[in-house]
Amino acid sequence: MSPATEAFYLPAVFLTVALLGGVRVADRVMLLPPPLYALVLGLLLFGVLARTGTLALHRLMNSNRAAVANLNGLLVMLTTFLASAQVFNLVTPESGLPRLLFDVFFLVLLLNTLAAAPDRVRVLRSLVVIFGSAFVLKFIVLAALSDPAGGMLKRVLLVLLEGVTLGTLTQDVFHESTGYLAFFTLALFMIGLALLPSSTHDRSSSSLVARSS
Amino acid sequence: MRALGVMAIALYAAFIVWLYARQPQTLQEVTGGIAAGIGAYRIDQQAFDDGLQFFRHNQFAAARTAFDRADSAGQDARTQFYIAYSYYREGWGRLYDDDRLFARGLERVNKAIALAPAGRLRVDDPDLQMRSADELKAELEAGLRTEPADFNPLKIFRRRK
Repeated sequence: MSPATEAFYLPAVFLTVALLGGVRVADRVMLLPPPLYALVLGLLLFGVLARTGTLALHRLMNSNRAAVANLNGLLVMLTTFLASAQVFNLVTPESGLPRLLFDVFFLVLLLNTLAAAPDRVRVLRSLVVIFGSAFVLKFIVLAALSDPAGGMLKRVLLVLLEGVTLGTLTQDVFHESTGYLAFFTLALFMIGLALLPSSTHDRSSSSLVARSS
Repeated sequence: MRALGVMAIALYAAFIVWLYARQPQTLQEVTGGIAAGIGAYRIDQQAFDDGLQFFRHNQFAAARTAFDRADSAGQDARTQFYIAYSYYREGWGRLYDDDRLFARGLERVNKAIALAPAGRLRVDDPDLQMRSADELKAELEAGLRTEPADFNPLKIFRRRK
């Protein structure tokens, strides 16, 4: 990883995710900080990244590095954690039963991933699936159900959910731009995760050194 | 380069914290807030004078439009005070006050107090009978409360401040 990536690009990407993850556009623009539970989930995700080698902590901070390099590493870690928390804030529904269900599922999924300890590529694929599914459910399915005007999707969902009280499912209605912004934010977060220094790179570079010697 | 990165990221993080704390609604509010932060924010004096003229002629809606134009970023305590005062004067009634206008006035006077240095704001305008933001706030809050005194028939003799 180049010094520029560590000092500028990665913290900037994750801070941008932390900024955009809280944006909700309704009749006014709201910036929502992550709730405490999102911080817990963010910390768990940070643990998953560190445990699976997606984020090699020793490459960011160790006693052989200069103080300012360690400071850069610390900023990468802090911003990764903040972005993780804010991404959970972004894809979790704002209220009601869906919020509770999402919170429980995220917790179980993260604990399961921690226990399974998969490799970096599998973790990244798994996160794309988790966040992608949550995005579809929140910004497409729940948004359609909550839309007072309704549409084709809402009619289909109403038929499928016959007998369910929608009061427990409906959410605050946001402007369409919130969904587009959320999509961009999630994509940026995944790019940031893919750019993190991993222990896989460590292993491959050390094996190359071993082969050449 | 690494030290520069630390500084740049610290600045960016501070900007994000500021955005979350202030919740600006427009780009003008963002730029105005930054300018106010470094002491470079100036209101449009011509628009402010227009607003003051409308205000003194009891044309409150027009006054607010001009004041909003003068302080487009919503960063000037004195302009926000006048906007709050315009809501008070427009909402004031001999028999009852308009709660909707008073609530908006309270919102603006709170903003004015938040913007004023140490939360203390005094406007020396002989046309006003309440010259501090604290007095205006108390008057607006009293107008929003329902009390036994509201049913006092002598209330019709009270005067607008």
